[in-house]
Amino acid sequence: MSDEVKWNRTISDVNDGILANLGKPHPSYYLAWGMAIIFVIIGAYNWGQELALGVGITGKTSPVYWGVLITDFVFWVGIGHAGTLISAILFLFRAKWRNTVNRSAEAMTVFAVITAGLFPLIHMGRFWFGAYWIPPLPNTNNLWANYRSPLAWDVFAISTYLTVSLLFWYMGMVPDLASIRDRMKGLRRGIYGVLSFGWRGTAKQWHHYEAGYGFLAALATPLVLSVHSIVSWDFAMSLQPGWHTTIFPPYFVAGAILSGCAMVYTLLVPVRTMFRMEEFIRPEHLEACIKLTLLTSSIVFYAYAIEFFVAWYSGNTYEWAVFEKRAIGGYAFYFWVMVFCNCIFPLIWWSKRMRNNVAVSMFVSVLVNVGMWFERYNIIVSSLVEDFLPGSWGHFQPSLGDIGLSIGSFGWFMFWFLIFCRYFPIVSMSELKLIMPKPLSKKH
Amino acid sequence: MKRPGGILVIYKYLDQLTDAMVAMRGRSDFKDNEVFSPTSYHEIEEALDAGPSQVRWFTLAGALTGTLTGFGLGLWVDYDWPQVVGGKLPGLYSVPAYVILGFELTILFGGLMTILGMLVMCRIPNPKQRILDVRFTDDKFGIFVPNVAIDGEQARLLQQFGAEEIRQIESE
Repeated sequence: MSDEVKWNRTISDVNDGILANLGKPHPSYYLAWGMAIIFVIIGAYNWGQELALGVGITGKTSPVYWGVLITDFVFWVGIGHAGTLISAILFLFRAKWRNTVNRSAEAMTVFAVITAGLFPLIHMGRFWFGAYWIPPLPNTNNLWANYRSPLAWDVFAISTYLTVSLLFWYMGMVPDLASIRDRMKGLRRGIYGVLSFGWRGTAKQWHHYEAGYGFLAALATPLVLSVHSIVSWDFAMSLQPGWHTTIFPPYFVAGAILSGCAMVYTLLVPVRTMFRMEEFIRPEHLEACIKLTLLTSSIVFYAYAIEFFVAWYSGNTYEWAVFEKRAIGGYAFYFWVMVFCNCIFPLIWWSKRMRNNVAVSMFVSVLVNVGMWFERYNIIVSSLVEDFLPGSWGHFQPSLGDIGLSIGSFGWFMFWFLIFCRYFPIVSMSELKLIMPKPLSKKH
Repeated sequence: MKRPGGILVIYKYLDQLTDAMVAMRGRSDFKDNEVFSPTSYHEIEEALDAGPSQVRWFTLAGALTGTLTGFGLGLWVDYDWPQVVGGKLPGLYSVPAYVILGFELTILFGGLMTILGMLVMCRIPNPKQRILDVRFTDDKFGIFVPNVAIDGEQARLLQQFGAEEIRQIESE
């Protein structure tokens, strides 16, 4: 695909173009950063309230013990999927367009998974009493965590994913940090010198680096597919109607990649404009990202349909009751927002003109993210709210505390992402050079 | 440790560099040369002719250790604190549940060891490395040949491939 890209630049322009972000940023950068900090303060206030007053400030109540905070957890883990998909799976498939977007997608993954990791702790309230089972160590009664539980598997899955994604991201950045070091003077040169580990770019270093990168990609590929499968088992391994279904792992993975790709687009478009990278992150690359979003949207659409079919065809009245409640009952609003945002609006991308219209694609990408949040909310709340004791049935509403903590998570994520955009290479310069025309002498 | 002096030859084009690398191959008077490039072109890797990287053994060792640790953890916990499920006797280990632990730790340990392998083989971290020319991380290619003089035969050979610049590096 990107063989057809008409480059107006050569590899000599790459470092100057990409590292423009290290100079004075556009005023909109400070505006975005200020907003992120306000959101973080809102989140911190609500977390403080929860620690002081208890989990009652969230909307959780019997029988909805997993409310908005677990929705946020699944949402952020899902966002984290696109980064490693783009950097590992597309690397193995030799999809050249990923070389322009992989760095920011990986950064997004790392910060999204860190954000996600906070939510199980926030969800527990005073987590130092509740999270003792997370490290693989026995308690004082010599009682171990139950490794037959999907919750214990999830701890392994998320921490492995965070570690491997972080290593992949940082390892990819080492040669670029050396490029920054070689442009800097004084203290900044020293700092980037330490961060780049003293990389020199010798042929032998590149040889081992490429081998290591390939192995890491090969290890990360099944990992991407496993993480959201394991998150889905948090639900599917229970006997709860609406959760206990074998379609969950592929359905969750496709949904995660959908939300992740939409988030990559949502972040990339403003970053590309803010740091003037239009010559490097080309319209063809943005279009490829949209095509991946459209593909996963189609898979998710199919999964929604099959899920309903299976619920009806199973003849299980409890299962069908949950699905009826989702589509035409008290949770119909959330359900139809999810269907329209994740399945119907993305259909516009079948038109090439619409895929290349940045304003339209940006708007639809934001809608996909809204839809994916509603999907998780819909799955979690509508299955739990009516349990096997009709006396405890009711209607679940998110509380102000839930909303404050969710807003805080967006601020926290943006805070770190914006710091990354300011001090690190947003596009992988060494990999971008690989997809540009090779510097060959005239005799060829 | 004293770092040797020598000559540094700088090229603008990739094919000039690879032609020079092929000409140097197997010659004892170019011993311990170093080749620099801004990114990992496969042409350079072919001209280097170094064989498969040893990083793979680190990855394999890490991955196998991870698999054993994952299954071992699950089985040890089952042994140390048996949970009797469905009336089955303790000692009937539910191995399928531990596939998840085995899988995740295979990836985790394999990934960590891959990074370690890469660091060891690339001889980094070493923030005091000698940076011979800052343009090698930008857009230039280069060859450093230690312990030879700028007016020697080696310099003349490397220059004929279209070197943009050639200079003497002092030992330090």
